[in-house]
Amino acid sequence: MPSLVPTFEWLEGLAWTTALRESPYGYPLIETSHVACIVVFAGLVIMMDLRLVGLAFTNAPLAPIQRRLFPWQMATFIPSMATGILLFCVDPLRYYENVFFLAKLVFLALAGLNALAFHLKTYQKAEEWDDDPQFIATARLAGGASLLLWSLLIVSSRLIPNNWFK
Amino acid sequence: MLLPFFEWCDGLAMSQAYRDSTYLFPVTQALHILAVTVFIGAIVIGDLRLLGWGPIGQSRASIARSAQWVLLWAGLAVLATGVPQFTTNALTYHRSWLFVIKMWLLAAALLYTATVRQRVAVADEGSLRSWVPRVVGAVSLALWMSVTISGRLITYYG
Repeated sequence: MPSLVPTFEWLEGLAWTTALRESPYGYPLIETSHVACIVVFAGLVIMMDLRLVGLAFTNAPLAPIQRRLFPWQMATFIPSMATGILLFCVDPLRYYENVFFLAKLVFLALAGLNALAFHLKTYQKAEEWDDDPQFIATARLAGGASLLLWSLLIVSSRLIPNNWFK
Repeated sequence: MLLPFFEWCDGLAMSQAYRDSTYLFPVTQALHILAVTVFIGAIVIGDLRLLGWGPIGQSRASIARSAQWVLLWAGLAVLATGVPQFTTNALTYHRSWLFVIKMWLLAAALLYTATVRQRVAVADEGSLRSWVPRVVGAVSLALWMSVTISGRLITYYG
Protein backbone atom coordinates (compact mmCIF):
# COMPACT_ATOMS: atom_id res chain seq x y z
CA MET A 1 0.00 0.00 0.00
CA PRO A 2 1.44 3.40 -0.92
CA SER A 3 2.24 5.59 2.06
CA LEU A 4 -0.25 8.28 2.99
CA VAL A 5 2.52 10.56 4.23
CA PRO A 6 3.07 12.47 0.94
CA THR A 7 -0.68 13.19 0.72
CA PHE A 8 -0.73 14.41 4.33
CA GLU A 9 2.37 16.54 3.73
CA TRP A 10 0.66 18.11 0.71
CA LEU A 11 -2.48 18.75 2.81
CA GLU A 12 -0.40 20.26 5.60
CA GLY A 13 1.38 22.55 3.15
CA LEU A 14 -1.74 24.14 1.64
CA ALA A 15 -2.18 27.86 2.24
CA TRP A 16 -5.48 27.59 4.13
CA THR A 17 -4.40 24.71 6.42
CA THR A 18 -1.18 26.59 7.19
CA ALA A 19 -3.12 29.78 7.94
CA LEU A 20 -5.50 27.95 10.31
CA ARG A 21 -2.63 26.11 12.01
CA GLU A 22 -0.67 29.28 12.62
CA SER A 23 -3.63 31.40 13.71
CA PRO A 24 -4.03 31.72 17.50
CA TYR A 25 -7.81 31.32 17.09
CA GLY A 26 -8.27 28.95 14.12
CA TYR A 27 -7.51 25.60 15.67
CA PRO A 28 -8.84 26.31 19.20
CA LEU A 29 -12.18 27.62 17.94
CA ILE A 30 -12.75 24.76 15.48
CA GLU A 31 -11.76 22.26 18.16
CA THR A 32 -14.07 23.84 20.75
CA SER A 33 -16.97 23.77 18.27
CA HIS A 34 -16.12 20.12 17.57
CA VAL A 35 -16.29 19.27 21.28
CA ALA A 36 -19.48 21.29 21.88
CA CYS A 37 -21.26 19.52 19.00
CA ILE A 38 -20.10 16.03 19.99
CA VAL A 39 -21.08 16.54 23.62
CA VAL A 40 -24.66 17.36 22.58
CA PHE A 41 -24.81 14.69 19.87
CA ALA A 42 -23.33 11.86 21.96
CA GLY A 43 -25.23 13.08 25.03
CA LEU A 44 -28.56 12.69 23.23
CA VAL A 45 -27.54 9.32 21.77
CA ILE A 46 -26.49 8.13 25.23
CA MET A 47 -29.87 9.20 26.68
CA MET A 48 -31.57 6.91 24.15
CA ASP A 49 -29.04 4.15 24.92
CA LEU A 50 -29.88 4.43 28.62
CA ARG A 51 -33.54 4.06 27.64
CA LEU A 52 -32.74 1.00 25.51
CA VAL A 53 -30.82 -0.79 28.25
CA GLY A 54 -33.53 0.16 30.74
CA LEU A 55 -31.50 2.45 33.02
CA ALA A 56 -33.36 5.75 32.47
CA PHE A 57 -36.51 7.21 30.87
CA THR A 58 -38.09 3.78 31.40
CA ASN A 59 -41.60 5.21 31.85
CA ALA A 60 -41.53 6.69 28.33
CA PRO A 61 -41.88 4.90 24.97
CA LEU A 62 -38.63 4.96 23.00
CA ALA A 63 -39.73 5.36 19.38
CA PRO A 64 -41.62 8.69 19.66
CA ILE A 65 -38.85 10.26 21.75
CA GLN A 66 -36.10 9.10 19.41
CA ARG A 67 -38.08 10.40 16.42
CA ARG A 68 -38.25 13.87 18.01
CA LEU A 69 -34.57 13.83 18.99
CA PHE A 70 -33.29 12.63 15.62
CA PRO A 71 -33.18 16.10 13.94
CA TRP A 72 -31.11 17.42 16.88
CA GLN A 73 -28.78 14.45 16.76
CA MET A 74 -28.22 15.12 13.04
CA ALA A 75 -27.93 18.88 13.56
CA THR A 76 -25.00 18.22 15.91
CA PHE A 77 -23.52 15.15 14.21
CA ILE A 78 -23.01 16.85 10.82
CA PRO A 79 -21.05 19.83 12.25
CA SER A 80 -19.12 17.37 14.47
CA MET A 81 -17.99 15.54 11.35
CA ALA A 82 -17.30 18.73 9.40
CA THR A 83 -15.20 20.27 12.18
CA GLY A 84 -13.47 16.91 12.77
CA ILE A 85 -12.43 16.62 9.12
CA LEU A 86 -11.25 20.23 9.22
CA LEU A 87 -9.16 19.59 12.35
CA PHE A 88 -7.55 16.63 10.64
CA CYS A 89 -6.72 18.66 7.52
CA VAL A 90 -5.12 21.43 9.58
CA ASP A 91 -2.60 19.09 11.19
CA PRO A 92 -2.73 15.68 9.45
CA LEU A 93 0.72 14.46 10.46
CA ARG A 94 -0.18 14.98 14.13
CA TYR A 95 -2.92 12.34 13.82
CA TYR A 96 -1.07 10.00 11.52
CA GLU A 97 0.08 7.00 13.57
CA ASN A 98 -1.60 8.33 16.71
CA VAL A 99 -3.11 5.23 18.29
CA PHE A 100 -5.95 7.11 20.01
CA PHE A 101 -6.94 8.85 16.78
CA LEU A 102 -7.00 5.51 14.94
CA ALA A 103 -9.01 3.99 17.82
CA LYS A 104 -11.45 6.89 17.55
CA LEU A 105 -12.00 6.18 13.84
CA VAL A 106 -12.57 2.46 14.57
CA PHE A 107 -15.09 3.25 17.33
CA LEU A 108 -16.84 5.73 15.01
CA ALA A 109 -17.15 3.08 12.29
CA LEU A 110 -18.40 0.43 14.72
CA ALA A 111 -20.88 2.82 16.37
CA GLY A 112 -22.14 3.77 12.89
CA LEU A 113 -22.59 0.13 11.87
CA ASN A 114 -24.35 -0.64 15.15
CA ALA A 115 -26.72 2.31 14.67
CA LEU A 116 -27.39 1.33 11.06
CA ALA A 117 -28.09 -2.33 11.91
CA PHE A 118 -30.34 -1.29 14.78
CA HIS A 119 -32.18 1.21 12.63
CA LEU A 120 -32.74 -1.19 9.74
CA LYS A 121 -33.64 -4.29 11.74
CA THR A 122 -34.91 -3.65 15.25
CA TYR A 123 -36.05 -0.05 15.27
CA GLN A 124 -38.63 -0.58 12.52
CA LYS A 125 -40.58 -2.70 14.99
CA ALA A 126 -40.02 -0.37 17.91
CA GLU A 127 -43.75 0.17 18.39
CA GLU A 128 -44.18 -3.51 19.29
CA TRP A 129 -41.50 -3.58 21.97
CA ASP A 130 -43.57 -3.09 25.02
CA ASP A 131 -44.76 -6.71 25.07
CA ASP A 132 -42.14 -8.67 23.18
CA PRO A 133 -39.19 -9.94 25.26
CA GLN A 134 -37.28 -10.86 22.09
CA PHE A 135 -37.20 -7.26 20.87
CA ILE A 136 -36.38 -6.00 24.33
CA ALA A 137 -33.33 -8.28 24.47
CA THR A 138 -32.11 -7.10 21.04
CA ALA A 139 -32.74 -3.48 21.95
CA ARG A 140 -30.78 -3.86 25.18
CA LEU A 141 -27.87 -5.36 23.30
CA ALA A 142 -27.87 -2.58 20.68
CA GLY A 143 -28.19 0.09 23.39
CA GLY A 144 -25.37 -1.42 25.43
CA ALA A 145 -23.10 -1.64 22.39
CA SER A 146 -23.86 1.97 21.45
CA LEU A 147 -23.24 3.16 25.01
CA LEU A 148 -19.89 1.37 25.12
CA LEU A 149 -18.76 2.51 21.64
CA TRP A 150 -19.62 6.21 22.05
CA SER A 151 -18.02 6.21 25.51
CA LEU A 152 -14.84 4.68 24.12
CA LEU A 153 -14.88 7.19 21.25
CA ILE A 154 -15.04 10.13 23.66
CA VAL A 155 -12.36 8.71 25.95
CA SER A 156 -9.99 7.97 23.07
CA SER A 157 -10.63 11.45 21.58
CA ARG A 158 -9.58 13.14 24.81
CA LEU A 159 -6.44 10.97 24.95
CA ILE A 160 -5.24 11.99 21.43
CA PRO A 161 -2.81 14.64 22.82
CA ASN A 162 -1.05 11.85 24.79
CA ASN A 163 0.58 9.67 22.17
CA TRP A 164 1.71 6.99 24.63
CA PHE A 165 2.30 4.23 22.08
CA LYS A 166 4.57 5.75 19.47
CA MET B 1 -8.02 36.21 48.87
CA LEU B 2 -8.47 32.49 48.14
CA LEU B 3 -4.76 31.90 47.58
CA PRO B 4 -4.20 29.92 50.84
CA PHE B 5 -6.99 27.53 49.79
CA PHE B 6 -5.42 27.07 46.33
CA GLU B 7 -2.04 26.44 47.96
CA TRP B 8 -3.58 23.89 50.31
CA CYS B 9 -5.15 22.07 47.28
CA ASP B 10 -1.81 22.11 45.50
CA GLY B 11 -0.11 20.54 48.52
CA LEU B 12 -2.51 17.62 48.92
CA ALA B 13 -1.08 14.09 48.66
CA MET B 14 -3.60 13.39 45.87
CA SER B 15 -2.28 16.35 43.87
CA GLN B 16 1.27 15.06 44.25
CA ALA B 17 0.20 11.55 43.18
CA TYR B 18 -1.41 13.05 40.06
CA ARG B 19 1.75 15.00 39.25
CA ASP B 20 3.92 11.90 39.71
CA SER B 21 1.83 9.72 37.40
CA THR B 22 1.98 9.75 33.58
CA TYR B 23 -1.46 8.21 33.15
CA LEU B 24 -3.64 9.40 36.03
CA PHE B 25 -4.23 12.97 34.83
CA PRO B 26 -5.01 12.23 31.15
CA VAL B 27 -7.31 9.32 32.10
CA THR B 28 -9.14 11.57 34.57
CA GLN B 29 -9.49 14.23 31.84
CA ALA B 30 -10.96 11.61 29.48
CA LEU B 31 -13.46 10.35 32.08
CA HIS B 32 -14.37 13.97 32.92
CA ILE B 33 -15.45 14.78 29.35
CA LEU B 34 -17.35 11.46 29.19
CA ALA B 35 -19.24 12.33 32.38
CA VAL B 36 -19.82 15.86 31.01
CA THR B 37 -21.31 14.34 27.83
CA VAL B 38 -23.80 12.24 29.80
CA PHE B 39 -24.69 15.20 32.02
CA ILE B 40 -25.19 17.55 29.05
CA GLY B 41 -27.28 14.87 27.30
CA ALA B 42 -29.64 14.80 30.28
CA ILE B 43 -29.76 18.61 30.35
CA VAL B 44 -30.35 19.00 26.60
CA ILE B 45 -33.16 16.43 26.43
CA GLY B 46 -34.97 18.42 29.14
CA ASP B 47 -34.18 21.79 27.55
CA LEU B 48 -35.42 20.64 24.13
CA ARG B 49 -38.63 19.49 25.80
CA LEU B 50 -38.98 22.88 27.54
CA LEU B 51 -38.36 24.62 24.21
CA GLY B 52 -41.13 22.53 22.68
CA TRP B 53 -38.73 21.01 20.17
CA GLY B 54 -37.94 17.74 21.90
CA PRO B 55 -40.08 14.76 22.91
CA ILE B 56 -43.40 16.62 23.19
CA GLY B 57 -45.32 13.33 23.52
CA GLN B 58 -44.04 13.19 27.12
CA SER B 59 -44.94 15.77 29.72
CA ARG B 60 -42.21 18.21 30.77
CA ALA B 61 -42.41 16.80 34.29
CA SER B 62 -42.00 13.20 33.12
CA ILE B 63 -38.86 14.00 31.11
CA ALA B 64 -37.46 16.08 33.97
CA ARG B 65 -38.05 13.32 36.52
CA SER B 66 -36.39 10.68 34.33
CA ALA B 67 -33.45 12.94 33.59
CA GLN B 68 -32.97 13.74 37.28
CA TRP B 69 -31.22 10.47 38.12
CA VAL B 70 -28.93 10.74 35.14
CA LEU B 71 -28.09 14.33 36.13
CA LEU B 72 -27.34 13.28 39.69
CA TRP B 73 -25.03 10.36 38.85
CA ALA B 74 -23.32 12.03 35.91
CA GLY B 75 -22.96 15.21 37.98
CA LEU B 76 -21.22 13.27 40.75
CA ALA B 77 -18.89 11.71 38.17
CA VAL B 78 -18.13 15.15 36.70
CA LEU B 79 -17.27 16.40 40.18
CA ALA B 80 -15.18 13.35 41.12
CA THR B 81 -13.10 13.71 37.93
CA GLY B 82 -13.02 17.51 38.03
CA VAL B 83 -11.79 18.04 41.59
CA PRO B 84 -8.44 16.19 41.24
CA GLN B 85 -7.74 18.09 38.00
CA PHE B 86 -8.32 21.31 39.90
CA THR B 87 -6.23 20.46 42.97
CA THR B 88 -3.33 19.15 40.87
CA ASN B 89 -3.05 22.45 38.98
CA ALA B 90 -4.60 24.72 41.60
CA LEU B 91 -1.84 27.33 41.34
CA THR B 92 -2.22 27.52 37.54
CA TYR B 93 -6.01 27.83 37.82
CA HIS B 94 -5.58 30.58 40.38
CA ARG B 95 -4.23 32.76 37.58
CA SER B 96 -6.67 31.52 34.92
CA TRP B 97 -9.43 34.03 34.09
CA LEU B 98 -11.26 31.36 32.05
CA PHE B 99 -11.31 29.00 35.02
CA VAL B 100 -12.83 31.76 37.18
CA ILE B 101 -15.45 32.41 34.49
CA LYS B 102 -16.21 28.69 34.24
CA MET B 103 -16.73 28.44 38.01
CA TRP B 104 -19.08 31.45 38.09
CA LEU B 105 -21.03 30.09 35.12
CA LEU B 106 -21.17 26.68 36.80
CA ALA B 107 -22.50 28.19 40.03
CA ALA B 108 -25.12 30.15 38.07
CA ALA B 109 -26.13 27.09 36.01
CA LEU B 110 -26.45 24.85 39.09
CA LEU B 111 -28.48 27.39 41.01
CA TYR B 112 -30.72 28.10 38.02
CA THR B 113 -31.26 24.39 37.29
CA ALA B 114 -32.14 23.56 40.90
CA THR B 115 -34.56 26.47 41.25
CA VAL B 116 -36.15 28.14 38.19
CA ARG B 117 -35.72 25.29 35.71
CA GLN B 118 -36.85 22.63 38.17
CA ARG B 119 -39.98 24.59 39.13
CA VAL B 120 -41.00 25.25 35.55
CA ALA B 121 -40.30 21.65 34.48
CA VAL B 122 -42.59 20.14 37.09
CA ALA B 123 -45.29 22.86 36.98
CA ASP B 124 -48.75 21.94 35.66
CA GLU B 125 -48.67 22.16 31.88
CA GLY B 126 -51.62 24.56 31.75
CA SER B 127 -50.47 26.86 34.52
CA LEU B 128 -47.74 28.68 32.58
CA ARG B 129 -47.82 31.07 29.66
CA SER B 130 -46.44 29.27 26.63
CA TRP B 131 -43.30 31.43 26.37
CA VAL B 132 -42.19 30.70 29.95
CA PRO B 133 -40.86 27.15 29.52
CA ARG B 134 -39.30 28.15 26.19
CA VAL B 135 -37.31 30.98 27.71
CA VAL B 136 -36.34 28.83 30.72
CA GLY B 137 -35.10 26.05 28.40
CA ALA B 138 -33.15 28.47 26.21
CA VAL B 139 -31.42 30.07 29.21
CA SER B 140 -30.53 26.64 30.65
CA LEU B 141 -29.07 25.50 27.33
CA ALA B 142 -27.06 28.73 27.01
CA LEU B 143 -25.72 28.48 30.59
CA TRP B 144 -24.67 24.83 30.39
CA MET B 145 -23.11 25.16 26.95
CA SER B 146 -21.16 28.18 28.22
CA VAL B 147 -19.83 26.11 31.12
CA THR B 148 -18.75 23.36 28.69
CA ILE B 149 -17.20 25.74 26.17
CA SER B 150 -15.32 27.81 28.75
CA GLY B 151 -13.96 24.57 30.22
CA ARG B 152 -12.61 23.52 26.84
CA LEU B 153 -11.07 26.94 26.17
CA ILE B 154 -9.01 26.83 29.40
CA THR B 155 -6.62 24.50 27.55
CA TYR B 156 -5.89 27.18 24.96
CA TYR B 157 -6.23 30.57 26.58
CA GLY B 158 -5.62 29.76 30.27
